[in-house]
Amino acid sequence: MPAAFVPSMVMPVFQLIAFSGAFGAAVKFAGIKNAMDWYVPLNAVQGASFGAMGVSFGLINDMQTGFFDRLLMAPTKRWSLVVGPMAGALVRAALPIVLVFVVGFIGGMNVPGGPMAFVTIVIAAIGIALVAAAFALGLTFRMRNMGAATLTQFAVFFTIFLSTSQVPLAAMSGWLHAVARMNPMTNVLRLARQGLLGDVTWSGTWGGLVALGGMLVASTWFALSGLKSLEK
Amino acid sequence: MSTPPIVAEGLVRHFGSGDKVVKAVDGVDLTVNNGEIFGFLGPNGAGKSTTVRVLTTLLKPTAGRATVAGYDVATQADMVRRSIGVALQDAAIDPLMTGRELLALQSVLYGLPKARATSRGDELLERVGLIAAADRRVGTYSGGMRRRLDLALSLVHEPSVLFLDEPTTGLDPMSRLTLWEEVRRLNREGTTVLLTTQYLEEADQLADRVAIIDHGHIVRQGVPRDLKAAVGAPTLLIDVAETQASAAREVLVRFGDLRPTSEGTLGVGLREGASAVAAVIRALDDATIHVRHLELNEPSLDDVFAEATGHRLEGAEAPKQ
Amino acid sequence: MTLALATRHTAWLTYRSVLGRLRQPAALTPSFVFPLFFAALGSASFSRIADRPDFQEIASSFLNYAVAGAVAQGVLFASTSAAGDLATDIEQGFFERLLASPVSRTSILLGRLGSAMVVAVVQVTVFMIIFMAFGARIESGPIGFIGLVGSGAFLSLAIGGLMSGMAIKSGSPEVVQGSFPLVFALMFLSSAFFPRQYMTGWYRTVADWNPLSHIVEGMQGFMNQPLAADMFWRAWLIPLGLAVVSIAFGLRSLSKRLAAL
Repeated sequence: MPAAFVPSMVMPVFQLIAFSGAFGAAVKFAGIKNAMDWYVPLNAVQGASFGAMGVSFGLINDMQTGFFDRLLMAPTKRWSLVVGPMAGALVRAALPIVLVFVVGFIGGMNVPGGPMAFVTIVIAAIGIALVAAAFALGLTFRMRNMGAATLTQFAVFFTIFLSTSQVPLAAMSGWLHAVARMNPMTNVLRLARQGLLGDVTWSGTWGGLVALGGMLVASTWFALSGLKSLEK
Repeated sequence: MSTPPIVAEGLVRHFGSGDKVVKAVDGVDLTVNNGEIFGFLGPNGAGKSTTVRVLTTLLKPTAGRATVAGYDVATQADMVRRSIGVALQDAAIDPLMTGRELLALQSVLYGLPKARATSRGDELLERVGLIAAADRRVGTYSGGMRRRLDLALSLVHEPSVLFLDEPTTGLDPMSRLTLWEEVRRLNREGTTVLLTTQYLEEADQLADRVAIIDHGHIVRQGVPRDLKAAVGAPTLLIDVAETQASAAREVLVRFGDLRPTSEGTLGVGLREGASAVAAVIRALDDATIHVRHLELNEPSLDDVFAEATGHRLEGAEAPKQ
Repeated sequence: MTLALATRHTAWLTYRSVLGRLRQPAALTPSFVFPLFFAALGSASFSRIADRPDFQEIASSFLNYAVAGAVAQGVLFASTSAAGDLATDIEQGFFERLLASPVSRTSILLGRLGSAMVVAVVQVTVFMIIFMAFGARIESGPIGFIGLVGSGAFLSLAIGGLMSGMAIKSGSPEVVQGSFPLVFALMFLSSAFFPRQYMTGWYRTVADWNPLSHIVEGMQGFMNQPLAADMFWRAWLIPLGLAVVSIAFGLRSLSKRLAAL
């Protein structure tokens, strides 16, 4: 397991350093003081979600060894087969968030929003991690092979990057502006970033919470209906 | 060929060093004569595969020497490779290529001219019954088809010596018989074959001579019939009514030692060999003992193995290297 | 072993590797999708910055700037993946099958590098066609196009040699794939995604010393300036020099592995 675990912890840190270095100037032109202020929330969210979707590896393994069939036959509540792995996903999501914070502090990120800044980042990161885990479970229940893990990675990757991942909406042009405006991830990133860019306010928060709630309901339904389709 | 195709003298191969040295092959002497099928028998980890790897130039000997097709495996490795065909147990066949493509690649590696390569490839596909599957990717082949393709690949350059490392391990009985038939046919055509196996029956059925290896040493070597005869007397088993059992025992003991058998059966090791069977039956008849069933068991290669090593081959597993 | 036979072995092993690449679309796709995606994302995110006069001196548009980075990135992906196939050969035993035959030992490595180069040439060509369809222009003309393709090919040798050496040393595809993030990070700390002129602090120092910066800037020269000799110096000679070193490393790893048999 550690071999599969390490990249999900190292990648967000790698990316945080790489993005801040490469696009530091671009972010500053958009009016942000320190690139870390822009990229710490992004990489916390991304790292947490990539860590969380690792639950599908364990599930695929269980399915291929037949262990999952035994769980299905056991007199357990069906929903526990979704909720259990999602709780495991939380554990996997926690470490990348902490690592990204540490690198952010070393990189001199500003925290004008105070402690609440971290609360909003953690809410956003954990929320997206749960969405990613549920989506991964739903796909795995349907596909039952490693393709599900790859497909989840692609889906989450593109959802995150087709939002305000690199620059604020105002700096974008054309198609990306249109896509990012519609992408619920843009709201989640606004929620996560507000405390590093200024004060934490309700107007910066509610949109993200609504987006998270909507995605969570949709992805959990996707996971549960996938589990049902297994029994057909 | 004046020198035998395979000769090993005091062959040694160690892995690791210091305290952790593993003596996988520890002084193997071996001669395989021209035109024979030589069976190399032993449990997993006994040193079979390591010996074959040294003989096929995939490992260098730690000590001792070996010649294959008249060439030294250590100093004339390239000439050895040109002269031998090798089908190794763990050498995977690229699953992304088709059988025909792999045969073409193999022909190039052995330096066959292009025109010859094409005809040889078709010939071999025909021979191992893979014409229909020739243009399918190997990834879609069954285990038996892969082994047959492997055999075909090893024959591309018409080698005079063929090494087959556990050619039938994991195959179903039908595929095994097909492969045996092909090995016999190749041998009839003049190819010398060294095959390793952990199946007693395979060695018994196919090999003109066998060597039994255990813990890196060859413990017996010879013609299977002679090896079995040397182990000792055949066992005669008879079934009689329970009321006559003790009387039968008194008769049997005159011909040799009684041997442990399953319940309801009596066994005796015939001191004088199989020729004593008629005398035993006459003696039982004279004693008015009614024999319901009679069976003569020759010693098996497993008995040979057990006698030589103190443990049984079937189900046995030597420590892993 | 005659040179003609060794060449024939290399050619066939190259052919086999290319077939292997084409027959694993799942392994080949990322090397096409990600560079194109990042180029598209960059052009849409940074187009306002590309309008600044100091950026206009580097490239006429962000897309025109991003082409070189995408090419380098695609070649990096594909060459690492080709080296991963070599490690798979070792892990699964095809390598041993080759060794049991009188194959030219060198051609086992050169065949892999050959395929990395073939794939790179095709990939760069495909990328250029796509980018030009979206409005990119090669300011240095047709020779610049050859310059870009050649640069991609030489870069594939440099990365392929290094990664193949690691594949031969470790015999594990996981190790080869696992080293990819390092190479990827090296790309960000160069001019591949954003001009190093805008970087500050230690990022700038790393980017200045990073050979990838200079290779990519050579390619950006082909895209954005009239043809000049220094483009070839940077885009061709640096990767060629690196290739010599990395192929030597690959061959050394191979001979060490063979000696340890």
